[in-house]
Order: sequence, then C-alpha cells, then structure tokens
Amino acid sequence: MGAPNRENAVSSRDEILAAIRRADVPPSPRAAPVSAAPIEGPLLERFVTVLRQVGGHSVVRHRDQPLHDVVASFAEPGTASTVVRGRFGVAENGSVYVDAADLGERTDVVRSEHLVLVIPVVAIVATMHEAVRQIPPGSGCGWFLSGPSKTADIEQSLVIGAQGARTLHVILEDVDAA
Amino acid sequence: MTGTHADGAAHFLNRPESAAAHDAALWFIRGKRDTASDIPEWEALRSAGATLKAHAMGSLAELLETFEARATASGVSVHWASDAAEHNEIVLGILRSKGVALVSKSKSMLTEECGLNEHLAAAGISVIDTDLGERIVQLAGEGPSHIVAPAIHWRREEVAQLFHRHFGTPANETSPEALANAARVHLRDTLLHADAAITGANALVAETGGVVVCTNEGNADLGMHSAPLHIVCVGIEKIVATLDDLAVILRLLARSATGQPSTVYTTHVAAPRNGAEMHVVLVDNGRSARLADAEFRSALHCIRCGACLNTCPIYRRSGGYSYGHVIPGPIGAILAPSTNLEQHKSLPFASTLCGSCGDVCPVRIDIPAQLLAWRGRIARARKLPRGYRPGMRWLGIVLANPRRFARTGRRLRWLLGSLPGFLKRGGWNRWTRPGRSLPDAPPESFREWARRTGRMR
Repeated sequence: MGAPNRENAVSSRDEILAAIRRADVPPSPRAAPVSAAPIEGPLLERFVTVLRQVGGHSVVRHRDQPLHDVVASFAEPGTASTVVRGRFGVAENGSVYVDAADLGERTDVVRSEHLVLVIPVVAIVATMHEAVRQIPPGSGCGWFLSGPSKTADIEQSLVIGAQGARTLHVILEDVDAA
Repeated sequence: MTGTHADGAAHFLNRPESAAAHDAALWFIRGKRDTASDIPEWEALRSAGATLKAHAMGSLAELLETFEARATASGVSVHWASDAAEHNEIVLGILRSKGVALVSKSKSMLTEECGLNEHLAAAGISVIDTDLGERIVQLAGEGPSHIVAPAIHWRREEVAQLFHRHFGTPANETSPEALANAARVHLRDTLLHADAAITGANALVAETGGVVVCTNEGNADLGMHSAPLHIVCVGIEKIVATLDDLAVILRLLARSATGQPSTVYTTHVAAPRNGAEMHVVLVDNGRSARLADAEFRSALHCIRCGACLNTCPIYRRSGGYSYGHVIPGPIGAILAPSTNLEQHKSLPFASTLCGSCGDVCPVRIDIPAQLLAWRGRIARARKLPRGYRPGMRWLGIVLANPRRFARTGRRLRWLLGSLPGFLKRGGWNRWTRPGRSLPDAPPESFREWARRTGRMR
C-alpha cells in the first residue's frame, strides 16, 4: 500500500462523522462550573508549599535587586541556567504558565538542565479553573510547568531529572506589592 | 494471547517475588492517589468530569469539526483514520514524504493499539520510545503492561541487566538514579536529533483547536519542539469542548494517575512553530461503533489515568499481560470484548466485582456494572465455558428463591465439611489453583448468625 491519497482521507473523514451521527447519542448538557473550596491563607503561601512538594524551589526578588543577582544566589557555580518569564502561577499545583510567545525557542523550557521561571506574585491564581482562562487567546503553544522533570518508572522510585530540567526555581517578583 | 485471563495470571504468579513487588508498587500508587484526591471538591470534580465527557460524546461530530477548523486555521494538518491500518498508513505516508529515518515517540496507548511501531519498523523507519518505562519494555521486546507505568512489572535488578547490555552501565548498578541517568543521556540524544516526533494526546480542545500532552519526564516536549515534524496520534474520544472542561480533566488526571497535583509538563500546543510541521491524526478504530452501543458507551469517557488498574485486586495480582489486550485492568476488561468477543470473553470475569474501580474512576465510569453487563452478553452469546452453563442454570434456580437459597447453603456447608480433603483440594477442582485454595465452610450462614445473635428477627 502506498501513502493515502487525498480522496481516501476525505472519505474516511465523512465516514467517521457519519458513523458518529448515526450513533445518535442524545445531546447532554455542558458541565456546570465547579466551585473550588477557597484556599486557606494567602495564595502565595500555598503556591510556595506545593512547589516545594513537587521538587521545585522559590526565591523572592526584592525591589531593585538585579535579576542575575537573584539567579546567582542559588545557581551552582559553573552551571548554565535558562531564565524564562512566566505569565502566572497556579497555587493548587505549584505550576507556572509559560507561553511560547515569550521564548526564543520552544525547547527552552525543556532543554536546559536548570530552569528558572520568573513571575509576579500578584499573578498567582488559585486553581486550574481560573488558570485555563488566562491562557492567551490564540496562543500557539504554552505550558503549565510544575517542578523539575521526574520519573518513577523504575520500581516507583522517584528520580528528579528525567529528560528535562534537573532543577527548577521560581523567582517571585513584587512581593512587597502583594 | 489465546489463553484465558486465568492462564495469564497463573503464568504471572509463577514468579511470586515479582508478583508481590508488582502488587505493592501499585498499592503504593493507589495510596498516593487517595492523598492527592483529598480535596473538598473532589466528588464535584468527578461529577463534572462525567458530565463534560457525556456532553462531548453527545456532540462529538460537531466538536471534531470545530477542532479541525481551528487547528487547520493555525497551520496544523488534520487527518482522519477509520481504523488502525489507515492510521499507520497515514503516519507512514507523512514520514516518507519527509524522508524520515529516525522517530522519537512519547507515550501513546493509541499507537500501541494500532501497532504503529511494528508497521514503521517494517518500512525501515526506526522508532525510539522515549518515556523511560516504555524504553525499558521496548528494549526488552515487550509492550507496556500498564497504561501509565509501562514497566511496573520490572524490578530494578532486571533493569540493571537490560541497561548493562544496551547502555553499558555496570551490571551491578541498580540505583534508580544511575539507571535513569543512563537512559537520560541516551534518550536526550535521540530526542534532540530525531527527524520527527510522534506523541499521543491527553486531550483535544475544540474551543482552541489545541492538543494537550501531559508528561513528567519532559520527553514529549523535547521531541516535539526539537524535530521539524510533529505528528499527534489520538483517538476521537479524547476531545473536550472548552478550556473549562480541560481544567476539570487536568485537575482529575494526575491526582488519579500518580497522586501528583499536576504532571510536570502540561503542554497546550495549537500551532506548529515557525519552519516546522504539525499533523494530527484523528483515529476511530471502533470508537464510533462503541458510541452507538448505549450500554457500553460511557467507557469512551476514560481519560487513561490508570487508577482502576492500580486499585484492582485482580490486576495487581495478575499483571498487565494476563489480559492479552493493549489496555489491561478493569477498563481494559470492558473495552476489549467489543473489539473481539471470542478472544476476550474471559476478561469481564477477571474481577471480583468489588467495585473499587468504579469508586476511583475520575469520570465516574460504572466499570463494575459494565463488567457485569458484559458477562450477561457473553452468556447470551453462548460463549461461557462449557462447564459453566449447567452451573449457571442451577445457580439461577437457587438464587431465585430465598428458602431454596438457605436450604442449598446449609447442604453445601455440610458437604464441604464432610468431604475428604483430597476431593476438595484435588486438581479437578477449578477453585483450587496454586496461590488459591478452597476455604473451609463457615458453621452457619450470615442470616443464621444474624438471627442467632438477635440482630435480625
């Protein structure tokens, strides 16, 4: 058999859609919004706690402190870190949303051994319900990044640093304003 | 596999130490899932998951058309495959048109279902599975035995031997850190230099035309953003209507799968990067037929978290391969029979109907009810093992009448107490196998006990 030709592809499309319509599944209402229980205490506190639980670290950047000084404060000498600006954080899972529009290359978030994400503290939302609504409309690619890469594929033993970043730091800006 | 699930289970239990480790590892994940799901709105989230999936199935054609239109407008090529063979041909066609020799593939149960690796290998294209667990089973010439943790049945000493042969690590190097690091070096090389990346998808979002891929290792991202060509292979049932629906799925998925609040990488990709190509292959392969079957339709709601596998007392003690189907465990036992009833007729019986799978399912699929319904279908199709039929007829008579049930129970208890041991434990008795024996009969029935102790008049 050779590569499928255009007509084949079109007919399979129509065939599948027709089969779905023939299945005659009764229409079913949309899910009502889930109201998440309010997070106790400041979102920042929860974010920092969960981030630590998922193997990440948080660092505060004080007003007028140069960013590279903050990075230098935790980076191992001689290692290269990739510093990326995130749009916002999610308290419930310690993740940071990064949009590809803010990156040089999409691989930036996963190729570096040491990844540093920078977000303003005020941009932390409680749960994924609020978070997905902040994905920029028309975004070509974006990530929720929750901690460094990890695997437990060998006997469920957790290893930090699978194929992606081995360390992940989140720099929190404008803490004084929050 | 041609044998029954019980045959496969007996084979698995031939290695008691591995079987015990398997059981313990899965129960450990189940425990993490329990901790992670301890959030106040968990049950409301499960209900929302069930509702949004029912909604997606009720408007599936429209959602797929919307997805296709949005994805196409963003520069993604969308393909449709009626069955596994067409899916494999489409993927091969795309790869050939770009002269691809080496593909990095992240975890996708759909490509396992379709036998894509074998198809591409036969055409001379190398496929490297890049999830660590998948790479382990690929090097060993096996398939995944679990949908989330493919190498859950492997012990670290066995991985050490495998990596010693393939990556030259010391034969006695059994630390998971060192083994994972050896794999990292080898896999990153593939991921950064492959001609194409194939990934599955955890969800498609009709609202955005986006594909959502969740991993912990980062292999999917390293592959899809490095290679000039990205192909997404996905079943049509993975679609959700909106980002709000996606939020519910994402909150349920990792908590149910591994007990994490989120996977490390949750990627929403809606357009290829500059200079690269992105294709999405939408695969039916029996899904539209299941959609037409109201009794078993809701099995399509499955988000492949694996929670029902981890909790199942049968799966934990029989291993993924005993099911002889690409998706094992309770969800596999209700999916497999519709692909080939004759071949998979033993699977709905690989359950105690304890109900735990239904309790943990993040989208509330009533798996126990479907297991039972499949048993009915198998019986009506006269596909029960020959020996079962008179027994089932007799049971039907006994269970239909409470007095007859009580009387028969008394007689059987007496009989079990009086029979000589060799008759009870001999090889002829289906209920006694290595690893399980016929328990002693209790002195009285539950009703008798309740009456005697004054708990029931």
